[in-house]
Amino acid sequence: MGLRNVVLPHWKKGWKRYVVLKLPRKTNWQSTNTNTNLANKSDINWVIMDYLVSEGYPGAAEKFAQETNVPGPVDNESIRERVRVRNAIHGGRLAEAIELINDIDPEILDNNHLLHFHLLQLQLIEIIRTILAKPGSNPVATDFLPAIKFATEQLSPRAPTDPKYQQALERTMALMIFPPEKMTPEFKELLDEKLRQKVAVDVNRAILESRGERSEAKIRQLIKARAWAEHEVRAAKVDLPAYVPLGLDAADEVGGDDGDAMVS
Amino acid sequence: MAHSSSGPPSYPQPSGLGQALRRPSYAAVAASVTPRLVTLEQSGSHGHHPAASMQARGEQQPQAVGMLARPRAGSMNMSMSMDMDGQGGQTATTARRGVWGGDRLGCPQHEDHPPFFTPSYLRQSRHAQRLRRAYDEHVAELQEHARLNPPKPPPPLSASSSNGNLHKMHASHVHQRPVVQDVLERHPPPSEEVDRSHPLPTRWSEEDKMSGLEIQSEGTEVRFGGTTKTPDEAASIRADHAMPKECGIYYFEVTILSRGKDGLVGIGFSTRKAALNRLPGWEAESWAYHGDDGFFFACSASGKAYGPRFSSNDVIGCGVNFRTNEAFFTRNGVYLGVAFNGIKSEKHQYYPSVGMKKPGEHLRINLGRTPFVFDIDHMMEQERQAIMAKIDKADVSALHPPDTEGTLIHKLIGQYLAHEGYVDTAKAFAKDVHEQQQSLFRDPQPFTPPDSEDDIHAINRQKIRRSILDGDIDRALKYTSSYYPHVLEEERNRDIYFRLKCRKFIEMMRRYTELVTATSSPATVTKSIDSLGSNGHANTGTRTAEDEDEEDDQEEDDGEEGQDTQMELDNQLHRETSRPPRDDIPTDDIDMDASQEELPPKASFMKKDDLLTSALHYGQELQVEFGGDPRQQVKKELRDLFAIIAYPNPAESPIGALLDQRGRGRIAEEVNGAILVSLGKPSSAALERLCAQTEAMLDEVAAKGGGAAALVSVRDDFLRP
Repeated sequence: MGLRNVVLPHWKKGWKRYVVLKLPRKTNWQSTNTNTNLANKSDINWVIMDYLVSEGYPGAAEKFAQETNVPGPVDNESIRERVRVRNAIHGGRLAEAIELINDIDPEILDNNHLLHFHLLQLQLIEIIRTILAKPGSNPVATDFLPAIKFATEQLSPRAPTDPKYQQALERTMALMIFPPEKMTPEFKELLDEKLRQKVAVDVNRAILESRGERSEAKIRQLIKARAWAEHEVRAAKVDLPAYVPLGLDAADEVGGDDGDAMVS
Repeated sequence: MAHSSSGPPSYPQPSGLGQALRRPSYAAVAASVTPRLVTLEQSGSHGHHPAASMQARGEQQPQAVGMLARPRAGSMNMSMSMDMDGQGGQTATTARRGVWGGDRLGCPQHEDHPPFFTPSYLRQSRHAQRLRRAYDEHVAELQEHARLNPPKPPPPLSASSSNGNLHKMHASHVHQRPVVQDVLERHPPPSEEVDRSHPLPTRWSEEDKMSGLEIQSEGTEVRFGGTTKTPDEAASIRADHAMPKECGIYYFEVTILSRGKDGLVGIGFSTRKAALNRLPGWEAESWAYHGDDGFFFACSASGKAYGPRFSSNDVIGCGVNFRTNEAFFTRNGVYLGVAFNGIKSEKHQYYPSVGMKKPGEHLRINLGRTPFVFDIDHMMEQERQAIMAKIDKADVSALHPPDTEGTLIHKLIGQYLAHEGYVDTAKAFAKDVHEQQQSLFRDPQPFTPPDSEDDIHAINRQKIRRSILDGDIDRALKYTSSYYPHVLEEERNRDIYFRLKCRKFIEMMRRYTELVTATSSPATVTKSIDSLGSNGHANTGTRTAEDEDEEDDQEEDDGEEGQDTQMELDNQLHRETSRPPRDDIPTDDIDMDASQEELPPKASFMKKDDLLTSALHYGQELQVEFGGDPRQQVKKELRDLFAIIAYPNPAESPIGALLDQRGRGRIAEEVNGAILVSLGKPSSAALERLCAQTEAMLDEVAAKGGGAAALVSVRDDFLRP
């Protein structure tokens, strides 16, 4: 089997230093694909399927399995289950979400008090959000009664178990005191949709873990590794352009003859 | 070359006499970077240094195999090897010799090829894997060479001619490449390229030792038989290779078999500058843990208290961590703490080294061939965990500002799917992502699929891919030549074209195999035939297969936007007009239609004998078309291919792997890549490039300072469960 030199394209611009990769020639005669550390298409296909399954993209996962002949998700329904939970949380329907989670496996929340607390806290926030969003003038104190009722029944019994819970509860309750226009960023972030996303991600991980599956898609580690490797290279004072493009933008290709790795 | 007819060639060879004669073993040569290690024979060989040149050039033309057979390159070595092998076989005394010595691989550089070993803690190391590959390729190449070129009497050789070459060869040993490759290669590689073939230490060095030291047991043991005159004097030895910093951590253990009377043993490491007539640790550029007082010495006659004393039957481990630049020792499996924290891996090459003073002192080194007493695997795993934790904290915001991690992942995946022509997945993914985002808002916007100009090409490529994945090579060839008429004719794609044609033969044999298994178990006959009808059969002579495809596509699209259907129709129209009528497809250059009529029509029962005949027929055509290719690889490929016919049930034959369905995926990717390049697009998507960049960066860092990057592998750590 032969090897070829591949000079990474964008590193070429400086002409000061090359990074030359030893890739097996494309003329892999037999199963030489397994012989390299470098990613081939089936590796990439794997990491994409891994992402689609673990982060809940059932439609894409199904099509991808068909188009690549990669073995698809064993159980598409379990992905859809997680998607339903995610959608419920994203949509602020926390009661529904908690019910769905318990349908999947009641032990998930029993064993993960912090997660359960976060869900209940988000539920309280959603109740407050609805009250705040009511049309008309500023809400009067009595409008908040359902929120206070929920807090005292569901959240306050948990607060003493951990100072973190107590603090979080206090902050959430404060939402009812400030008029929305006078809220500090610290409180505003409680009402931000990103909190829903964060809780949804945590719940997804917890469900995966409860099934004994890896809780984070590998592609997340992969791009972190790319960032880390660049940091290490710069720390080692290897000559590198200020920005090494990923090749996502059309502009990245300008200047290169084919924009691809140069094969010599 | 004076001893060339008298020196005993057998190996191991305790005396120094045979050294100059013996061709070194693969392990010894694998990358003796320093000229000091280059023995006469090695320099006298044609200077092609397999591991080093493969690594350094990254270039190994298939022709290199042929080159080995050339008299000029191989003559002298051939004679040596004949010689050696003859005698070696007779004098085989050790197990190693029996198995590996005179391995008759006819290697011009190495006497034998001891089995490559990877220490347990380096199994995940990219560097160790790379070395292993180089070794495997070297041996495979030799085996192939030996098979194609049975030994023949060597031409007479004049000593003067080899001496004439000697000096030149010697000087450019590592970076010299075979002449043939020089000619073939248009662009010389950049000169800054670093040689990264640093091999693992495998044994005590026969050369790099003080006289009076005897090497035993295939280089794993060393015994002091001489005497010392002054109290200062000692005898030291180094391993054959330096500890590669690319390993991240390097570790070895030394067992004190016998300490001798009032003995003094030092265990550690040194550079090649350190003199060997004193104990390591006392000399400049040497560091060692001494048994008599338990002190650690760092280039100085005065040490510092470090660990317990050690004596006979103790196992002393020595490790260097190139990330923290620390050295540590273990005693009988117990970690003794950091002894030294000034490792300068960019400046020095550290060799495992021991020294002793008294006659009878006897040490055994374990470089990872056998399990270690200390749990170094665990330490390595902890090190890896620590690095993974660091990676997990990496900030990705600068990779593609202003994208967050989530957005970036969506873009990377979306771009990959579009780039590769996974049209349906791309649509479904865009839809799923849209739904997910909309679920956050109260008033969801309806999903409008992105309209892309690339769609026509994407759909074309999708069809070609589907055909190959279905095993219908004729349909794939047809699509390719109608959509992209010249792609497969291009010189750079001729191997892809070749493999596509070979794949057709494989698919014919697959069908045959299916029939064989089907007829042997009647229950599966119907199913098998059905699956043939929908899948395997090339039905490209008519519109039928394609019409069905169109219908399928449309059915799938019905649930979505009307726009899709319209686009599909447009696309169909576009093709109707732009594609030449089937009969007019030029067949002069690519002989793609040649065997079409032999393929069975859809749903008709095909007797397996007929199938075999048509496969044979097609095989002959392949032979006519490609048999003239001078390249060994092509010949071998064809030979392997035709060998399938010999087996009554090819799937269970030794070459059954050729029939594997996954082969379809590989060739499909290659064709897709070739088309992309012909369309002026990069052949790799951003996500692939990201992987390659990461790997290159890790390599760069690991080669420069070893350390954390050495322990990370893109493929094993991020592209595997």
